[in-house]
Amino acid sequence: MTITLDKPINSIKPPKPWAKRNKSTVVNNAIAVILPTVVLGILFFTTEIPGPVLVVVVFFPLQLLTAGVTSFMDKGKRGIGDSLLSVGCVSAFGLVVALLGSVVLSVIARGLPAMKFNFLFQNNIYISPTTELTYGGIGHALLGTLLVVFIASIIAVPLGIASAIYITDIKGRAAGFVRFMVQAMSGVPSIVAGLFIFAAIILTDVVGFSAIAGGLAYAILMLPTVARTAEEVLRLVPKEVRDAAVALGSSRARVTMRIVLPTAKTGLITAVVLGVARIIGETAPLLLTTSNANNTNLNPFRDPVSTIPVYIFQYLGSGYQTSIQRAWGAALVLLLAVTILFALTRYLSRNKKGNV
Amino acid sequence: MDLVAKFLLPLFPLVTSVTSSLIVNPEFRRTSVVGLLYLSVMNQHKTVSTSTLDVPGNTPTPRYFGREKSRTKSDKLFSGSIIVAALSSLVILTAILLYLGSNSWPVLVEQGFSFITGSEWSTTDGVEIFQIWPMLYGTFLNAIIGLVIAIPVSVFLALFIVFLAPKNLSKVLTVVIDILAAIPSGIIGLWGFLVFTDTAAKWGQLLNQYLGWIPLFANDQEQFARSPFIAGWVLAIMIIPIITVVSREVLAQTPQELLDAARGLGGSLSGAIKMVALPHARGGIVGGVMLGLGRALGETIAIFFVLNLIFDVNIYKILNPEGGAIASMIVAKFGEATPNEINALLGAGLILFIMTLFVNLAANYIVKRSQREKLA
Amino acid sequence: MTMDATRIASTTNVDMEATGVRVPNTPQDAHPRNPEDANVHLETKDVHIWFGQRLIIEKVNLSFPENSVTALIGPSGCGKSTFIRTLNRMHEFIPGAALAGQILYDGQDIYDAQVDPVDIRVQIGMVFQKPNPFPTMSIKENVLSGLHLAQIKYENPDEIVRNCLERASLWTEVKDRLNASASSLSGGQQQRLCIARSLAVNPKVLLMDEPCSALDPGSTRRIEGTIKELSQEMTIVIVTHNMAQAQRVSDYTAFFLAEEGAPAQVVESGRTDEIFMRPKDPRTNDYVNGLFG
Repeated sequence: MTITLDKPINSIKPPKPWAKRNKSTVVNNAIAVILPTVVLGILFFTTEIPGPVLVVVVFFPLQLLTAGVTSFMDKGKRGIGDSLLSVGCVSAFGLVVALLGSVVLSVIARGLPAMKFNFLFQNNIYISPTTELTYGGIGHALLGTLLVVFIASIIAVPLGIASAIYITDIKGRAAGFVRFMVQAMSGVPSIVAGLFIFAAIILTDVVGFSAIAGGLAYAILMLPTVARTAEEVLRLVPKEVRDAAVALGSSRARVTMRIVLPTAKTGLITAVVLGVARIIGETAPLLLTTSNANNTNLNPFRDPVSTIPVYIFQYLGSGYQTSIQRAWGAALVLLLAVTILFALTRYLSRNKKGNV
Repeated sequence: MDLVAKFLLPLFPLVTSVTSSLIVNPEFRRTSVVGLLYLSVMNQHKTVSTSTLDVPGNTPTPRYFGREKSRTKSDKLFSGSIIVAALSSLVILTAILLYLGSNSWPVLVEQGFSFITGSEWSTTDGVEIFQIWPMLYGTFLNAIIGLVIAIPVSVFLALFIVFLAPKNLSKVLTVVIDILAAIPSGIIGLWGFLVFTDTAAKWGQLLNQYLGWIPLFANDQEQFARSPFIAGWVLAIMIIPIITVVSREVLAQTPQELLDAARGLGGSLSGAIKMVALPHARGGIVGGVMLGLGRALGETIAIFFVLNLIFDVNIYKILNPEGGAIASMIVAKFGEATPNEINALLGAGLILFIMTLFVNLAANYIVKRSQREKLA
Repeated sequence: MTMDATRIASTTNVDMEATGVRVPNTPQDAHPRNPEDANVHLETKDVHIWFGQRLIIEKVNLSFPENSVTALIGPSGCGKSTFIRTLNRMHEFIPGAALAGQILYDGQDIYDAQVDPVDIRVQIGMVFQKPNPFPTMSIKENVLSGLHLAQIKYENPDEIVRNCLERASLWTEVKDRLNASASSLSGGQQQRLCIARSLAVNPKVLLMDEPCSALDPGSTRRIEGTIKELSQEMTIVIVTHNMAQAQRVSDYTAFFLAEEGAPAQVVESGRTDEIFMRPKDPRTNDYVNGLFG
């Protein structure tokens, strides 16, 4: 098709001849989409067959069929692969949106009613499972979570970054081995981490159920994430930066601490944030190490501490309506925390000049 | 000058290194700054005086520099502490194996091989029997159901994000899928129990109604909640983001030139994907699947309320409300466990750990091998 | 001036006979002075190309005669690669791409709504700058991959493989290891494999985007020989930076140039010997004499 260029070249919008659709193709595609939906609707309203059955047995195969037929009419044998691909992809997309969307929406919808001021700040000492939501809250759980995460971070962050430095900077002979160990460690199930700490320091009566036990268990889960991300980030530091420092006569320690690490600063912070995001919702290790409490306990070495994931677990298991509402409220707070952490990583890793 | 060079200079490094090492450090050193400088002078000298081209076979022997050794105290301190910290992961892994192993060893010995093969768990009348076969089997069953659902959905979703979606939607989806992969399992468990179970039970009931003649979908309990089927779905929802994130990453890295070549030869998009993108991404996708598998095997909370733990192995009736999962069992029994029972739980944890370790290492190996194939 | 075997042999270091490539004598009449006077398969009429809102190439009117080689020359960055991708409808994959004008293949506009771009790409093949054989496939599978991708039925796969590899001057080197991985070949061999792969679907036109720029001189000369041989049976359009290569290999040449800030244009086009020996435009003269570019 010719695009006549009678107007001056600068005034016409750049044309895209390939975007023009054949009228018959458009009609075919429309039929391919509308027909199965219409059939589904008709059968749904006129017969007793349950919805899910209709979707799986009628809609999906019919959709595949019409898509295949119309693309065959359009492009011959070649079109079929494309149409099957489209149907598969859109179906997968729809399923994931439905399921995971349901998760997110449920948490928001059901957790919102619990969001009262007291919820965030009070603890649950005097609360029974049926007390109204205007009393009690997750204050103690929030503090407990912060405490446990803090303990985990002060252990895991130095060790993780040190591992990353060893692998990328010092490149010791065991670098590959350390990498392998970190990789293996990232596969430790959260409950095994909890069991280990339980066996190592609670069974042996070093401490009882306490925040520090939880922090140690969390640290085991956090370390691999911090180490792997830090390794990626340190690798990105250009060789020239290191070379410049070394050429100036700086000792190795100085090169790393004063030059390489600060260059990778935002990346390392990202590594820490990702590590926190990894552990913040883990319930299983805490069940075995910090146990649960209704009071606010800030002593990390004694007495159980309440944390948000365990709070959810506790109130989910109780069965009363108000308790379940509390659980949803806590879940919403947890979801918000994870989202904020991720937003933080994206903010940190936006492109800035001169930083990694 | 030649004579001086030939006879006096060689003495120099010996003298300097001995003296400098004695002064600076009690250890004997083989190199020193002056010695290095000397060597570079010597080599220059050599090449100026003798042309190696004239004397065939007289190429100078290369001198290799060893790894840069720490020289100052602060350097040694630095390297030392880094090395110690880096080995912490090894220490922790070994400690896990040791503690779990040593604590549970007596109980495991006592129970014998039937710990893994038997199906009873009781502490009544002072007789303690701990056997986890239904739990082991159930763990795998749940994971497989989860994978059967998750793998096609994840791969199609990844293909959608990389090849079919408009650019803006692609970017948004990539971010969203990252966040979804981080949703804590506690939240999924909460939703799974309170929101999803009813719907999934209904699906199970329908499956039984229409396809119940297939043994897989048989149900002899009139009850469809808390079955491996539902647990599998919940696990799938948890691992779909994980597999999608990894698959999306590898698919997005398909070399554009290969896709161009496929298109240029007259291939459609699906043809190019089938013949170029998927083979290229195969290793990464498998790695992602194994990551998901590892997660599914160790998952505790997400299916804790969703699955009914029964110590009677349920082999294929996935719609029955009977199942097993090691991690959930550990949590369930932990609260009121006798001391021996606790050790048995530690043993179960040890076995779970070994399983996930194995899966993790296999994943690592597969991904590495596929990457090496590409570079070859 | 004719492109005969002796002339080619004198400008290369490679013994053309030894490579097994027959280089025929091309009589002058087969390549008329004016490209439009010859039998034409492919031509462009008034083609303008945009990236987003920016017009980057304008007013391209070229004819690519049957069974000939046309070289597109010009300084780097003036859009020759972009232009050549409009000829097989690969330009549209770039987001923001736009095109006006007609590109006629056998009289029909390839951008017509009724036309399936996949059909076009089977008839008009392309070889890229960097050799890109499919790494997960063997040599044999690579040659046949085009047929699979275009979903063209075929019999006698072995015959097809041998035929294509022979025409691409690769058969003797790989005939004993057809099942070896394509990545085990050298750069020059990989590029010849890509040529063989393109030949399998039987195109009438072969587009080549700087096919030798990533290769060593020895491989380059071999491929140039292949190009000359192939041009007996198909139309070839080759983008090249190397003016000596353009002179060696092509029958016709088009010179692209983008002045400061303006869209690129075809300054001059015609028979290669005319363009290089007796250019009409001073800019062409400057370029072919190496004064810029």
